[in-house]
Amino acid sequence: MFENATKQLRETVEAALPELNTVVGWRAGYDPLHMTPVFIKNAGDLSKLEWSPFCVQNLSGYLVKDPAVRAQDPSKKIGICVKGCDSRSLVALIQEKFIERNQIHVFGIPCRGTVDWRRVMKLGPLTGIQSARVEESRLVVEDANGGHTFALEDVLARKCLRCAHPNPVIHDVLIGEPVTPRVAVENSYGEVERMEEQSLEDRLGFWKKELDKCLRCYACRNACPLCVCQDRCIAETREPRWLTQRVGTSEKFLFHFIHALHLAGRCTECGECERACPMEIPVTLIKEKLNKITLELMSYEAGMDPEAVPPLLTFNPGETGL
Amino acid sequence: MSGKAFIPRDSLGAALDRLSKKIEVWVPAMSEEGRWGVEFLPYRPGMRPVLDRQSTLSPKRVVFPQMETLLRFEYIKDPDDPAKVKFRLDDGQEVKPQFVFGARPCDVRGFFTFDRVFTEGPFVDGYYRNRRASTLFATLVCGEGDAACFCSSVGSGPADQAGSDLWVTPVDGGYVVEALSERGREYVALLGDAPSELQEAAARKVQEEAAQQQVGDPDLVKSAPSFRGRFEDLDYWRSMVSQCLGCGVCTYVCPTCYCFTITDEGKDLKGERLRSWDSCMFAQYTSEASGHNPRPTKLERYRNRVGHKFSYFPEKYDGMIACCGCGRCIRSCPVSIDIRKVVQELKEKANACA
Amino acid sequence: MHAHNPYLPELATIQEVIQETHNIRTLRVTLDDAEKMRDFTFRPGQVGQLSVFGVGESTFVINSPPTRKDYLQFSVMRVGEVTQRIHQLNAGDQIGVRAPLGNGFRYEDMKGKDILFIGGGIGMAPLRTLLLYMIDNRSDYGDITVIYGARSPKDLCYLYEFEEWRAGNINLVLTVDAEFPGWNERVGFVPTVLKEEAPSPKNRLALVCGPPIMIKFVLFGLKELDFEDHQILSTLEKRMKCGIGICGRCNMGSKYVCLDGPVFSYSELREMVPEM
Repeated sequence: MFENATKQLRETVEAALPELNTVVGWRAGYDPLHMTPVFIKNAGDLSKLEWSPFCVQNLSGYLVKDPAVRAQDPSKKIGICVKGCDSRSLVALIQEKFIERNQIHVFGIPCRGTVDWRRVMKLGPLTGIQSARVEESRLVVEDANGGHTFALEDVLARKCLRCAHPNPVIHDVLIGEPVTPRVAVENSYGEVERMEEQSLEDRLGFWKKELDKCLRCYACRNACPLCVCQDRCIAETREPRWLTQRVGTSEKFLFHFIHALHLAGRCTECGECERACPMEIPVTLIKEKLNKITLELMSYEAGMDPEAVPPLLTFNPGETGL
Repeated sequence: MSGKAFIPRDSLGAALDRLSKKIEVWVPAMSEEGRWGVEFLPYRPGMRPVLDRQSTLSPKRVVFPQMETLLRFEYIKDPDDPAKVKFRLDDGQEVKPQFVFGARPCDVRGFFTFDRVFTEGPFVDGYYRNRRASTLFATLVCGEGDAACFCSSVGSGPADQAGSDLWVTPVDGGYVVEALSERGREYVALLGDAPSELQEAAARKVQEEAAQQQVGDPDLVKSAPSFRGRFEDLDYWRSMVSQCLGCGVCTYVCPTCYCFTITDEGKDLKGERLRSWDSCMFAQYTSEASGHNPRPTKLERYRNRVGHKFSYFPEKYDGMIACCGCGRCIRSCPVSIDIRKVVQELKEKANACA
Repeated sequence: MHAHNPYLPELATIQEVIQETHNIRTLRVTLDDAEKMRDFTFRPGQVGQLSVFGVGESTFVINSPPTRKDYLQFSVMRVGEVTQRIHQLNAGDQIGVRAPLGNGFRYEDMKGKDILFIGGGIGMAPLRTLLLYMIDNRSDYGDITVIYGARSPKDLCYLYEFEEWRAGNINLVLTVDAEFPGWNERVGFVPTVLKEEAPSPKNRLALVCGPPIMIKFVLFGLKELDFEDHQILSTLEKRMKCGIGICGRCNMGSKYVCLDGPVFSYSELREMVPEM
C-alpha cells in the first residue's frame, strides 16, 4: 500500500533534486517499526527514501536547529518531506521568521496516521520482528513466532487519533491524494475535556504522578521544533536561577508549565515532545489545553496560515474573546 | 542451605514481600499501568514486577541517584558582628542495604564502568562506593533480546553472571534462583524452597541456551581503534550526527553514562551541594565562563560520547569498553540513531578510503 | 562520611585580599585546621577548588610556592558567577578549599636547566608559583628569563613583586600591547617580544601560559627558535566540576585536565585529542 507512495515520493524528489541543496526525509531504522531521518544529497541516496506510517519524526526542526542544514548553498532551496502535522510546524517557523517560505521546497504527504511503536510492543509480545506493514486499517507484524495483526486504531499515536489536519497546509508538491480528517479541530480536544471534568485535586494528582517521573532530561524541549531558545533555556540559566537541580515535582512542574506557556498559541501539537519523552509522560496534553483556550478565546489555530501573527506575539486592543 | 530456590510464578509477590521485610528491594515495574515503559522502583507489596522485557531506565539510579546531596552547609552568623559568617559543613550520607531483583546482565555490567571511575582512584567517590557496596543484584538470565540489543558485541552476553549475587532463571511455572555470591546465599532460602531436579534441569537448559546466544556483531569493537584516525574527519561525523537532536535521552537511559554536575542550592542560611545527572550532549556541560566552548556543536559532543565509550575509556582502563550493549540509547532515541552503525563504520569507511 | 571525602572542602579564612587589576583579585588564605595547614604539601602548578557556599566552586592555581607556607594564594579573575562572589569577599571571611588537585610541574626534572617563562595576563598566576619556588632554590637552576605581557600596565599582576623577582637574578622582560605614559619597559605583543629576545633552546625549558591566541603564536615562535615539543610546557584551563577526574567534562580524549593536567608538555598535547 505504501510502496506506491514511496515510489512516487522518490520520483518527485528526484525530479526536484538538482535544484535543491538537500532533501530531508525518512529512511529505514534499526528495526521494521522504526524509521530514521535521512538527508538526501544526490540521486544515489534516493533508494533510501521511504514513506510509511512508521515515518513518525517531524523533520521541520532540522531547518532551524541544524547548522549543517542551514549552512549550505543559499542560492538553492532545502527540500523537506512533511506530514500534515509537520507542515504546521513549518508554518509556525515561517511566521516567526526562522525560515523563509521561498527557501524551502515542501514535499507534502497526506497522512492517515503514524504508528506508535510502544503501543505495538505493549500489545505484543513480539520477538525478532522481521517485517511490519500497514494494510488498510490493520498493522501486520511478522516476528519469530509468525504473523500478528493489530487494529490500526490500537497502535496509532495518540496525536493521530485526534488529527484534524492530516493534509499538509503548505506544500510545493503533494504526494498522493488528500485524506479526510478524522475530526474537526473543535472536536479534537476530547482528552482535555475529560480532564476538565475532573476536580482540581484529581487534576493536580494526575500531573503530580505523571511529572514525578520526569528525568529533567529535557528531551521534550530539544525535540520540539518550536523550542528555539535551546542553549539559553530558563531550565539551565544560573542567573537568575529559576530552577534548582533538586529532584522534586515543584521543579518539574515549573519547567513543564513554563515550557508549555512558551508554546501557547504556537504549538502545533505535532507530539514530538511526548514521543521523545523516555518516560512516556503525556506532555503534549498540557499544550493541548493551552491551544484549546487559544481556540476558544481567539479563534486561532497555530501553524495554519504563514501570513497570520500568533495571538501571543502581538497585541490587539480590539481583542473580543478576552 | 542449598543455595538454590524455586519461586512459583504466582508466588513471586509473596517471595518479594518476604525479601522486602529484610532489605529494601527494587524491581522493574511499569511506571504507569497501560503503558510500555518500565523503570526500577522501590518494591511495595502488591506491586507487579515486569520481568518479560528490558526496563526503559536501567537500575543505574539505585546506586547512582539522579540527584544526591554531597554536603549540607549552614551559615553561622557571629552574634557580635552579623557581617561575619562562619560555615558548618556536613557530608553525612545515609546508605541502606538494598537488593535489585530482576536486573539483566547488561544492567549489572553497566556498573563496572562506574566502578573503574568512582572507586579505583586516585580519588575515591565514597558516595558511590558506599551505595555500591550495599547493593545486591538478583539477575535474570536473558533471552535473545530485540533488534537494539548487542551485549555480546561488548564482551557480555545473555548468560553473563559477572557482578550478580543471585541468578534467576525463568522456567515453566516460575523461577529457579541460585546464589552466585556469599552475600546472595543469605537470601536464597527466603525466596522459596529448594527446586526439584526437574526444575533445576529446566533451568540448566535455559542457561545453556542463553550462553549459546550471540547477541550483536562480535566484531563490532574491532572498529573502535579506528576512532582516533577518524577524529578529524568532520564529514564522517556530520554524516553520522546530522539526525541527532542533541536531546540527551541516550545519556539518561544509559547504564554506563556517569557524567554529573555539582550545584549549590540553598536559600537564606542553609543549603546543599548537590550532585545530579548531567549530559555530555548539552552545550552547558563544557561551556566556560568566558563563553568559549571546546565542544560547541552536537558534532563535537556526539563524537566525544562515542569516543568516550569506545576509545578513551579503553585507552585509560585496560581496553574496557564503556558500553554494556543494552541498546537503550538506540531504543529511546527519538530519531533512532544507532550507535552500532556509528562505531562499525569508523572502520568500514576508513578502509574504503584506503 | 568524612575520611578522605574528596568532595568535602576544608574551611579556610582569607587573611588578605590584593586588588591586582580592575578584574583580578588575589586571595591569601590559611586553612582553619592548623594541623592541616602545617601538613599541607603541594607541587607548583597544582590547583584548588574554591567554594562560595550557596554559589558553587571554581578552579584556581595555587600561585604561592610550597617554599612559602604562611598562606595559600589564589588569583581570581572575575568572569562568572562564582568569581563574582569571590570578589566580594574580604579578609576574615571564610571560604572552602579543596586542594591540592592536578599534576603540577615536575620541577625535579628542571634542575640544572635554563628556564623561560612566558605569561600573558592572568596566565602569569600558574607561572608565579614555580618562579618563586625557583627563586627560593635559585642555585638549582641556570638562566631564568620571564617574558610577561598584558594589555596595559594596569593589567599586570604582581607589580609589587617585580623588584623581588629581579633581585632573585631573574631576567624579567615586561611588555604591554601599546605605549602608555610613564611606561619604560617593552611595548609589543608577547610573541613579538619572544622573537626579539630569541632565547636559545639549548638546555632550556619554556613554560607558557596565557590566553589561547597568545599561546598559539608563542608556540609558532618557539618552534622557529628550534624549541622541541618536549621542551615546551603549558597549563590548560577547562570547565571543571569535581576536580578529581570523575564528573567527565574536562577531558581531552582520555586525559582529564583536572587530574592528568593542568600541566602538559607540547609533545603530550600533540598526542592528545585536539579539543581545546
